[in-house]
Amino acid sequence: GSATLGEMILKVPRNFRLLEELEEGQKGVGDGTVSWGLEDDEDMTLTRWTGMIIGPPRTIYENRIYSLKIECGPKYPEAPPFVRFVTKINMNGVNSSNGVVDPRAISVLAKWQNSYSIKVVLQELRRLMMSKENMKLPQPPEGQCYSN
Amino acid sequence: MAENGESSGPPRPSRGPAAAQGSAAAPAEPKIIKVTVKTPKEKEEFAVPENSSVQQFKEAISKRFKSQTDQLVLIFAGKILKDQDTLIQHGIHDGLTVHLVIKSQNRPQGQSTQPSNAAGTNTTSASTPRSNSTPISTNSNPFGLGSLGGLAGLSSLGLSSTNFSELQSQMQQQLMASPEMMIQIMENPFVQSMLSNPDLMRQLIMANPQMQQLIQRNPEISHLLNNPDIMRQTLEIARNPAMMQEMMRNQDLALSNLESIPGGYNALRRMYTDIQEPMLNAAQEQFGGNPFASVGSSSSSGEGTQPSRTENRDPLPNPWAPPPATQSSATTSTTTSTGSGSGNSSSSATGNTVAAANYVASIFSTPGMQSLLQQITENPQLIQNMLSAPYMRSMMQSLSQNPDLAAQMMLNSPLFTANPQLQEQMRPQLPAFLQQMQNPDTLSAMSNPRAMQALMQIQQGLQTLATEAPGLIPSFTPGPPGSTGSGGPTGPTASSAAPSETTSPTSESGPNQQFIQQMVQALAGASAPQLPNPEVRFQQQLEQLNAMGFLNREANLQALIATGGDINAAIERLLGSQPS
Repeated sequence: GSATLGEMILKVPRNFRLLEELEEGQKGVGDGTVSWGLEDDEDMTLTRWTGMIIGPPRTIYENRIYSLKIECGPKYPEAPPFVRFVTKINMNGVNSSNGVVDPRAISVLAKWQNSYSIKVVLQELRRLMMSKENMKLPQPPEGQCYSN
Repeated sequence: MAENGESSGPPRPSRGPAAAQGSAAAPAEPKIIKVTVKTPKEKEEFAVPENSSVQQFKEAISKRFKSQTDQLVLIFAGKILKDQDTLIQHGIHDGLTVHLVIKSQNRPQGQSTQPSNAAGTNTTSASTPRSNSTPISTNSNPFGLGSLGGLAGLSSLGLSSTNFSELQSQMQQQLMASPEMMIQIMENPFVQSMLSNPDLMRQLIMANPQMQQLIQRNPEISHLLNNPDIMRQTLEIARNPAMMQEMMRNQDLALSNLESIPGGYNALRRMYTDIQEPMLNAAQEQFGGNPFASVGSSSSSGEGTQPSRTENRDPLPNPWAPPPATQSSATTSTTTSTGSGSGNSSSSATGNTVAAANYVASIFSTPGMQSLLQQITENPQLIQNMLSAPYMRSMMQSLSQNPDLAAQMMLNSPLFTANPQLQEQMRPQLPAFLQQMQNPDTLSAMSNPRAMQALMQIQQGLQTLATEAPGLIPSFTPGPPGSTGSGGPTGPTASSAAPSETTSPTSESGPNQQFIQQMVQALAGASAPQLPNPEVRFQQQLEQLNAMGFLNREANLQALIATGGDINAAIERLLGSQPS
C-alpha cells in the first residue's frame, strides 16, 4: 500500500530488522535452547529461515532437536511469520500431518506485535512444550520428519 | 513501508548487518578463529582453524564436554551441522556461537556431566529422581562424578573449613549427584546387613529425641515402628534402589491422583505440614534443611493411604552420608501403607541409621578418601567436630549398649576383612573401644585441639620409630590386647601414653588401617589418666628421675603423670618448678 513518508522513516526497515535477527542467531543470543538462521545464506530477501528448538528437560520432548521452517513475508515484522515444524511433533497447536503451526493457537502469533521476533516465536513454542497439556503427550519416534 | 530487496541490504547477509563490505574477508590460509560453543548449561570458547570440518570441530570439543563425537550435535543458525560440512560452509566465523546438544545413550539428559549409570536405570520414569539431582551445582564441576575418585576432589573443595558438617553435606551432595556411588554404597554388604536388622533400626530411631516427640504427637508412627512387617518392608525397599524408585514412582502417580479429588489437595497439604514436615526437619537437620520444604503443595502422607508426592526436583536427602544420623528415623515410616513421610525420605531414614563409625572406616579404603584422611589427620579440629556432633554421641550410645552388634558391624566392614589378624585383635577391644568413646574424658580430650595435636605427633613419632627401628618398639608387635602396661622400655611418651592397644605391625597395613589403629591408640591413650596406680606405670621413669637426682618422689610422680610418662618433659617440669 502507500505509506506515508513518516511511516517509512519511523518503521525499522524489514531488512535491517531481519539482519539484526540474523546476527543474533549467529551469536547465540539467549540461553542456548533455540537457534535460528537463514535457510540459504544467499537469500537476499531474508525470507526463509530455519529454526531449531532443543526439547526442554523433564518433558517428553527432552533432548530432542526439533527443526522448523519459518517464513518472514514481505509484511514482516508487522505481520507474523509462518512457522512449521519439520521434525514430527505431537503438540497442541501444531498440525499433526504437516507440522504447520496454527497461528490462532499460539498466543504470540495470534497476538503478534512488531517487536516480536523469530527468537520469541521459538522460545514461546519451547515454553509451550513445558506446559502441562503438552509435556507428556506421546511423541513419534525421534528424527522423523513431515513429508512435505 | 519496509523495502524488500537490496536497496539497503549489503551484498552478503551472512556477514552481518549493514556491513557494507565484508570486512572479515576470509583469506585462503587457515586462520584460527574463536568459536563459542553453548549448551543449555554452559558455554565455552574454542580456537580452531577456520577451514575445519564439523567433524574436526567436534573432535576438538569432545574432550571438554566429556563425550564421544558421535554424541555431539552442533547447531548453528537453526541448522544441524553435519560432520562432513565445514565451518565456513555454514558461515561460522570468528566470534560466533554454535549450540551444542549432547546425546547420552541411555539417559536422555541434555548435559554431558552426568555419566550413564552402569548399574542401570530401570525405566526413564525411574530416571526422574536421578535427573532431579542435576540441579546440584556440583554436577558441572570437574570432579569426575560418578566415581569415587570424585571424593579426591573433595579435598580441593576447601577442607580447610573445619566444619565437618559442611564436609558432610558436600559429600552428601556428591553422593546424590552420583548414582553410581550410591549404588556402590548400597551394595556394600555392611550396609546391607545393617539394613536388615530391624531391631537395630528401631533402636536407633527411637533414640532420637525429636522422633520421640513426634511419636507422642502422632501415635500412628509408633505403630509403624513397632510393626515388624512394615519395618522389614521398608528396609527391604531401602536396600533395593530399583525397588525404591519403582515405589517412588507409584507414589507420585498415586498422589497426583489423590490431588485431583476435590478437597484432596488440602488434605495432602495438611498431612504434610502436620506430620511430614517435622519429621523431615528432624531427619534433615544436618543435611541442610528439609528438601521438601520448597514443595509448597503436595507431599506427605499421613493418615491413611497415600504416600507423599514429590513433583519437586530437589535432591533426595542422602541416607548414607557419614556419620549418619539417628534422626533419620522420621522417614522410615513411609513405605506404602499409611505411614508418614514420603517414600522418598524413607530411604533416607533407614539409610541414615545405617551409618556407624565403621561405615566411615569402610569408605576409608577408597583411594579418594586417602587424601581426605590426610586432611583429617592434619587437622584434628575436624575430628573434634565430628565427634562432638550430637548424633555421633547417640549413635555411640546405642552401639555401646549393644556390643555384639557393634562387633558385628565392625568386623563386617571391608576394611577389616582384608586383615583378619586385625580383626582378631579388634574384636576383644571393641567393648573397651566403645567405652572409651563414651568416656567424657575421652571426648574432652578429643575436643582439645592441642591434645589432639599432641596425640597426632605421638602417633607420627611412633610410626617413624616403627619404620626406623622396629626393634625398639615392642608395643608394635602383637601382644595381649587391652593391656595397659607400658610397652616399651625407651619409647618416649608414646609407649606409656598409649598403653599398647596392640596393633599389628604397621608396616604391612595400609595407611588407612594405620589410621584406625592410631585412633584406637589415641583413645586408649586419652584414657590413660584412668589407669590405676601411676606409680606402677611410671616405675621406670621414677627410677630414672631418681638416678638423675630428682629425689622428690611426689613431685616426680606428678610431673610424670602430667606429661604422661615423658621423662624429658617431666624433667623440664620439675626444673621449672624448682627455685633457682
